[in-house]
Amino acid sequence: MKTKVLKTVLLALVCSTLTIALGACSGDKASENSSQITIGIPQDLEDSLDPHKSVAAGTKEVLFNVFEGLVKPDSNGDFIPAVAESYDISEDAKTYTFSLREGVTFHDGSQVTAEDVKYSIDRCAGTDGSAPLIEAYSNIDSVNIKDEKTVEIVLKEPDTEFLAYMTTAIIPESNENPDTNPIGTGPYKYVSRSPQENIILEKYDGYWGTPANIERVVYRIIANADSIVMNLLGGSVDMFVRLTDAQAKELEGSDFNILEGTMNLVQAVYLNNAKEPFNDVRVRQALSYAIDRTQIMEMVSDGKGTEVGSSMFPAFDKYYMEELNDVYSQDFEKAKELLAEAGYPDGFSFTLTVPSNYQQHVDTAQVVAEQLKNIGVTANINLVEWDSWLSDVYADRNFEATIVGIDASTMTASAMLERFQTDASRNFINFSSSAYDEAFRKAKASVDDEEKTAYYKECETILAEEAANVYIQDLPQFVALNKKFGGYEFYPLYVQDIAKLYFVDENNE
Amino acid sequence: MKYFGKKLIAMAVTILVVSFLVFLAFAVIPGDPAISMLGTEATPERVAALREEMGLNQPLLVRYFSWVAGVLHGDFGTSYSYQMSVTEMIGDKIPVTLMLTLLSFLIMLVISIPLGIFTARHEGGKADRFIYIVNQIIMAIPPFFSGILITLLFGIILRWFTPGGYVSYDVNFGQFVAYLFFPALAIALPKAAMAVKLLRTSVASQVKMDYTRTAYSRGNTTKDVFYRHILKNALIPVITFLGMTLADMVAGSIIIEQVFNVPGLGRILLTSIQNRDYPVVQAIIVCIAFLVIFVNFLVDIAYRAIDPRITLD
Repeated sequence: MKTKVLKTVLLALVCSTLTIALGACSGDKASENSSQITIGIPQDLEDSLDPHKSVAAGTKEVLFNVFEGLVKPDSNGDFIPAVAESYDISEDAKTYTFSLREGVTFHDGSQVTAEDVKYSIDRCAGTDGSAPLIEAYSNIDSVNIKDEKTVEIVLKEPDTEFLAYMTTAIIPESNENPDTNPIGTGPYKYVSRSPQENIILEKYDGYWGTPANIERVVYRIIANADSIVMNLLGGSVDMFVRLTDAQAKELEGSDFNILEGTMNLVQAVYLNNAKEPFNDVRVRQALSYAIDRTQIMEMVSDGKGTEVGSSMFPAFDKYYMEELNDVYSQDFEKAKELLAEAGYPDGFSFTLTVPSNYQQHVDTAQVVAEQLKNIGVTANINLVEWDSWLSDVYADRNFEATIVGIDASTMTASAMLERFQTDASRNFINFSSSAYDEAFRKAKASVDDEEKTAYYKECETILAEEAANVYIQDLPQFVALNKKFGGYEFYPLYVQDIAKLYFVDENNE
Repeated sequence: MKYFGKKLIAMAVTILVVSFLVFLAFAVIPGDPAISMLGTEATPERVAALREEMGLNQPLLVRYFSWVAGVLHGDFGTSYSYQMSVTEMIGDKIPVTLMLTLLSFLIMLVISIPLGIFTARHEGGKADRFIYIVNQIIMAIPPFFSGILITLLFGIILRWFTPGGYVSYDVNFGQFVAYLFFPALAIALPKAAMAVKLLRTSVASQVKMDYTRTAYSRGNTTKDVFYRHILKNALIPVITFLGMTLADMVAGSIIIEQVFNVPGLGRILLTSIQNRDYPVVQAIIVCIAFLVIFVNFLVDIAYRAIDPRITLD
């Protein structure tokens, strides 16, 4: 009897497993939606979906399609009116007046009112007494509703760059759960999210501007870097925007177009200017003389990338100073001389902390360490997870040197340069120069564009000459886009504009 | 009844200890959830305000007990990073991990029991030696690597499934199970190999026992003796092993979920640890602890079903 029972159970098990296995064979691609794009992202938006609270660049990149500010950036880095139809900046650059566009609606169908605009900006500025979201908003004195269609923002100090901050999302005052139920005015509306799985957006039919072409956008999280290429080749992902050079090469000859742009950041060996030996400008200069950027680019991404010589990347063409790339060129003798002068004739060793989740920075660190050996300096590479980096290096400033890329949160020169003021709360490298502080202050205060630009350039020059950091490059960015799609545009900011994408065979619509 | 009472108390104590250890661990490792949430836009003022808001300034014990109190009310708190209710977040993922574990277990049973019995009955034969070698090889391959091989073979070359083409259970249950079959296979293979080996050895030791000879001498056929006497006794250590394996599979799924891009508990656990998202980590650890205890309980029951001499006290 028992034997029979055992056999029956086994048989049942075999049958059920076989059924599942057979089911598996017929299971692929059944639910392909004709007007859908699946975009792979390396990390989930482990963040609030409230556009004013979310901070991760990856979150902003997605939410760019859901939210809009009074103005928004275009792919040239200029500001185009969005929720506002036009704006007027007073001559003293202290009063910004926005006329709201007719017929802009939130994704829940309600009209955008002047109250919503005031609410959104007040919320960012922390005028209710809370801390402002970013330092620039602390300059807001008041937000005034002039009439139903006009909002005026008065600043405490003149700021000609303030428009850049008015890209901040306009959200409805009536939304009770902005953390989990984002409602904006952008071309796509939020549908759902499932942690570590996906985020789904859908075209918003009531959009005021040029409507999106693709109905549905699925962001699929691919946490394992090794499976990105397999997912692309296997057809479960149509687009991936941050491939390494090696991954891009693996996709050659496949169904994907590989587009090449830049990441718009400044990759450098960021030095803790307050810690020995990096508190000595000669030591910092010596390191700058020891490295060869071309060789780094050659090793890390096959020669792609753009040199930078200060804290400004080329997409800011108004401020970028190519000549600063030549302040230091590899010269071991000079480097050794400087080290000897500084009291390190035999070199020294230091810890180079690198966040392990950024392969490009890890690779760069290895090349840099090799190059520094030439002048007797030993860099001990210490890989840390991103979170430890944020708390130890960035918040506590407890490090000697680190390699990361620093990008701009808005399209302003001050977004790149503000942090190097002596007292800036984000000055994690403890850079301190009274000349720099003075130049930056003057740049900020100036209302004349030419003068302002000149002061910003002075700031950049000081950073280069003081060798605040060992500047390396703006990293190349590779985008894989299935040949079915077209219309990808690189922005000088960390955003992906999905509304511009279209199906190649219906692009004449 | 006394047995259930004991089990319940043991369960409560285990979960308390485990969750407290997790709390302690987070107090020791570097990283701060407030800084983690604010990223590179953290200013000392915003960090301080956020820490206050999240209650991180309270002493460890106070935080721990307020967490326990919440759990007793069925409230696991809100995820720091997602700002979602933890119950909602995890509730969504439990079926994924359970199904993956269940499938792996099924596959393991289907492979190991018949094969184990076969090799035991044909000990020393050509087939046995062949299976022995294959077994050794499979045991030596770590699941994440077999996962990559399976993806390459069935996903890219044979195209039986789309790598990364996971379909959620609430969208299409059939496709959901179908996709999970391959990761389950990767988890099951090494475990199955071990189970085969164990069953074979276990049977071999029973064959030499006195009762086996007695059974033969009473005129039973070989088949009879094998299934009615030997197998029953040989299964006891195997069941212990299977129980341990089931618990182990939950852990194994964490790695395999990464390889196959399956958004289960493991993925959430991993990223939550990286983000210092304590409430989520706590809840998942409690779930896993509960699962392990529950499996042990099932194993106890299975013992009793196979061998009535074993009592549950």
